[in-house]
Amino acid sequence: MPDRIFAAVLLFLSLIYAFYAFFVIKAPFQYDPLGPEAWPRLLSVIMILCSGALLLRPLVQNFDVDGATWKRLAIVLALLAGYAVLFEPLGFIISTVLFATVTSRLLGAVWKRAALFGLGVGVGGYLLCAGLLDLNLPAGPLPRL
Amino acid sequence: MSRFAPFALAAAAAAAFALPAAAEIDRPECIAPAQPGGGFDLTCRIAQQGLEPFLDRQVQVTFMPGGIGAVAFNMFNTTRTDDPNAIVAFSTGSLLNLITGKYGDWSIDDARWLATAGTDYGAVVVLADSPYKTLDDLMAALKEDPSSITIGAGGSVGSQDWMKAALLLKTIDGDPRKMRYVAFDGGGEAIAGVLGGAIQVYTGDIGEMTSHMDGSLRILGVMADERLAPPFDQFATLKEQGYDAVWPIMRGFYMGKDVSDEDYQAWVDIFEKAHGSEEYRKIQSEKGLLPLDLSGEEFTAAVRAQTQQLHDLAVETGLITE
Amino acid sequence: MMEVLHGLGTGFAVALSPLNLLLVLAGCFAGTLIGALPGIGPINGVAILLPIAYGLGFPPESALILLAGIYYGAEYGGRISSILLNVPGDAGAVMTTLDGNPMARNGQAGKALSLSAVASFVGGTIAVVLLSLFGPMLARFGVKFQPSDYVALMVFAFACLASLVGSSPLKTLTGALIGLMLATIGVDANTGVQRYSFGIPDLLAGIDFLVIVIGLFGMAELFHLVEQQIRGRLTTVPIDKSFVSWADIARTKWTMLRCSLIGFIIGTLPGTGASVASAVAYGTEKRLAGSTAGTFGTGDIRGLAAPEAANNGSATGAMVPMLTLGIPGSGTTAILLGALLMFNVTPGPLMFEQRPEIAWGLIASMYIGNIALLVLNLPLVGLFARMLTIPQHYLTPLIAILAFIGIYSIVGNPFDLYMIIGLGVFGWILRKLDFSLAPVILGFVLGGLFENNLRRALSISGGDWGILFSTVDSLVLYALAIAVVVIPLWLGRRAARRANAAFDA
Repeated sequence: MPDRIFAAVLLFLSLIYAFYAFFVIKAPFQYDPLGPEAWPRLLSVIMILCSGALLLRPLVQNFDVDGATWKRLAIVLALLAGYAVLFEPLGFIISTVLFATVTSRLLGAVWKRAALFGLGVGVGGYLLCAGLLDLNLPAGPLPRL
Repeated sequence: MSRFAPFALAAAAAAAFALPAAAEIDRPECIAPAQPGGGFDLTCRIAQQGLEPFLDRQVQVTFMPGGIGAVAFNMFNTTRTDDPNAIVAFSTGSLLNLITGKYGDWSIDDARWLATAGTDYGAVVVLADSPYKTLDDLMAALKEDPSSITIGAGGSVGSQDWMKAALLLKTIDGDPRKMRYVAFDGGGEAIAGVLGGAIQVYTGDIGEMTSHMDGSLRILGVMADERLAPPFDQFATLKEQGYDAVWPIMRGFYMGKDVSDEDYQAWVDIFEKAHGSEEYRKIQSEKGLLPLDLSGEEFTAAVRAQTQQLHDLAVETGLITE
Repeated sequence: MMEVLHGLGTGFAVALSPLNLLLVLAGCFAGTLIGALPGIGPINGVAILLPIAYGLGFPPESALILLAGIYYGAEYGGRISSILLNVPGDAGAVMTTLDGNPMARNGQAGKALSLSAVASFVGGTIAVVLLSLFGPMLARFGVKFQPSDYVALMVFAFACLASLVGSSPLKTLTGALIGLMLATIGVDANTGVQRYSFGIPDLLAGIDFLVIVIGLFGMAELFHLVEQQIRGRLTTVPIDKSFVSWADIARTKWTMLRCSLIGFIIGTLPGTGASVASAVAYGTEKRLAGSTAGTFGTGDIRGLAAPEAANNGSATGAMVPMLTLGIPGSGTTAILLGALLMFNVTPGPLMFEQRPEIAWGLIASMYIGNIALLVLNLPLVGLFARMLTIPQHYLTPLIAILAFIGIYSIVGNPFDLYMIIGLGVFGWILRKLDFSLAPVILGFVLGGLFENNLRRALSISGGDWGILFSTVDSLVLYALAIAVVVIPLWLGRRAARRANAAFDA
């Protein structure tokens, strides 16, 4: 079943991809005989065949993820999204301290250690990467090094 | 030691860590919106080395690849519109992309045009032992059959590299759509294409020829108004050979459109100082660029003028309909 | 020959001065650290540190030696996170995950790290010897390689990839197609037309390769770890003291030699780099392994040695067109070229005559750098291997943070952060459905090169497909491509026949 769902989504997406390849993409003029549309057209046709084959003869029968796992994965995904949203506005240090603390706590560290880990990674990571290696990381409201 | 000393220290520390003053450039960055090694890279290197005496910190060069600079232009119109530290390298080719809509729906009013790094000119390049000894040989062959010669350059159809080839054909009333044009991924690959014989003519920039003036390539002409300064004075212009194709590639910098007047002016001042220095001139010429000193208002006007000219050219060659 | 020896003499005199020796070591060390960060490979490492090197005010040869040290160091460092975390440190290290990570999971992290350091050393050293002896000649071969030859090279690379077929050929093909389709997003390099970017500004230029790698590998690995943890399926790997043995080296010596050569040659071609080199090397080795190829992908030491020898070989190979012709063969050498120009050194054939101390000093520093990296890396193996003992609840957020640093510091675009999260979810689903991720990545790399060069070749010929078969190079590559697919089948059949014959008798 999971393979079927995946194949169906893939088939749907490749039909959209094919639509663009066959009817939308076009160059005003070109010097090569293929143009920008030939390669996507070829890919889309093969992909439709492949996803069709997978739909008819699925291989993986069981996705094997239970409710608790789905929930945990969803929380991690939300944390990552939050980290990405706050990365620039709050800057590397604050967003990283928050993310590292909450995530390690969620995954089983005790609060105190999680907070220490968060602080260490946030501040230490910034000093190492922005200070020593001169990488470009957002400072947020804190002063830049 | 007075018992207030710790407080005084704390206050001093707080002051030291306070937000920097508005017009202070504390972490100057030049964004080269392409892969390293190309023209934008060199443009940023000029800012990096040329502005060094006038800034507290050296300008850091970062690369924002995206073939044609669209990613950078969009970033400075969406997320980093008021970044006072960042200047972005651009060239005439970027203006062309802007007016042909390659950058999305932005116009030249969506950036603050800061200053020039210098200028470059198109060049027509062939292999040293090419059968086309002179520009006239090449043009005669092109006139006879435009598809008999493979012309290559480092950009796609509609890029400024392609424009140079198209202009070349226009001088003999040829149709740019009838030529045989090969788009490479950057000037380096195109030069490899000439050296390896994959293409016969390369329409590049004179500036990047400094690395290749060892006798392996022959420069048939420079697309400038008049002869350039040494070491490029040995190459005749297209104009003096009777082909009216002039293609200057202005290279300079812009900033986000919401940068405050103060920050903008701070950069303009720095560039004005640099433009007046001997050292800057030396760095500029080492990077294969020729002098063109414009900044602030004056520069914005020049950008406007060239944009208009490019617009007319793009309509003429059929790139945009209007 | 005398010329070369004389040049090397000059070079070693420069490279062995105390300052330069120190700089090689410092560069190698910094490079290893940078390379170990997921996402930041040689190209960004060198770009980031170039202004620092320039700002320190060293003479040009010393600054270049420092940068070159960072370059090899990053190439060595890329393997560390591939092996330990299943997250490639850079583009060239994708293939290293295939056998390197299973080895670490089997409790052989120390062996994997030390063997890959040896393979890197062999690859780097063979390549630099070839560079000093045949540099100029090879450079001429490199530029003679035309768009039509690149098409043949890509066909050969695809043929090598057929060996990656995992549980199901259909899924491998589908995976490769996903990669090929992702590569078509963005501006078309030939006509400048937009494809599948739907007006989203961040997609106009296409998806960056590193975003794909970090998303599909790094973030997917993170979701995988979280899933395994909650279900109690994570087994803690014992602190392992395994180390590479002479027997391992003896077993992989031909693999290393072949792959160093493959990597070096592919590296000398402008436009193809470590990712193509390591993929071709891995595929070739797996094909050559014949009936014993079954262990590839489960922690086979040959599958680890092959891509590591090749990616270091190609890193040095990329120096050939830059030093001898002034044409950068890769992104990183393009930056080194920029560095040369910054110091007013004009690279190209004249450099060896005009500034021999720089040209030969740089080459000599490559010999020293390789030795330094081996000496530096072997004792650190135990330390790196301990990374595996970091508890899960710290390791998982750490992977995300490293990925964010790597992706953000390159371009500074928060959109890329959302991209890697989305691709991470996608990659996790693919893994759950028994798709192998390597074909996706390689489809992405090879697809763009294949399409662009095919259309370039056809533009050159004016639409005549005959150009694809017009050179000796391309014909040889097509022949090799056929051989790579057919020979293992033939060997397999012969082995089966013999087994039958033995059975009958």
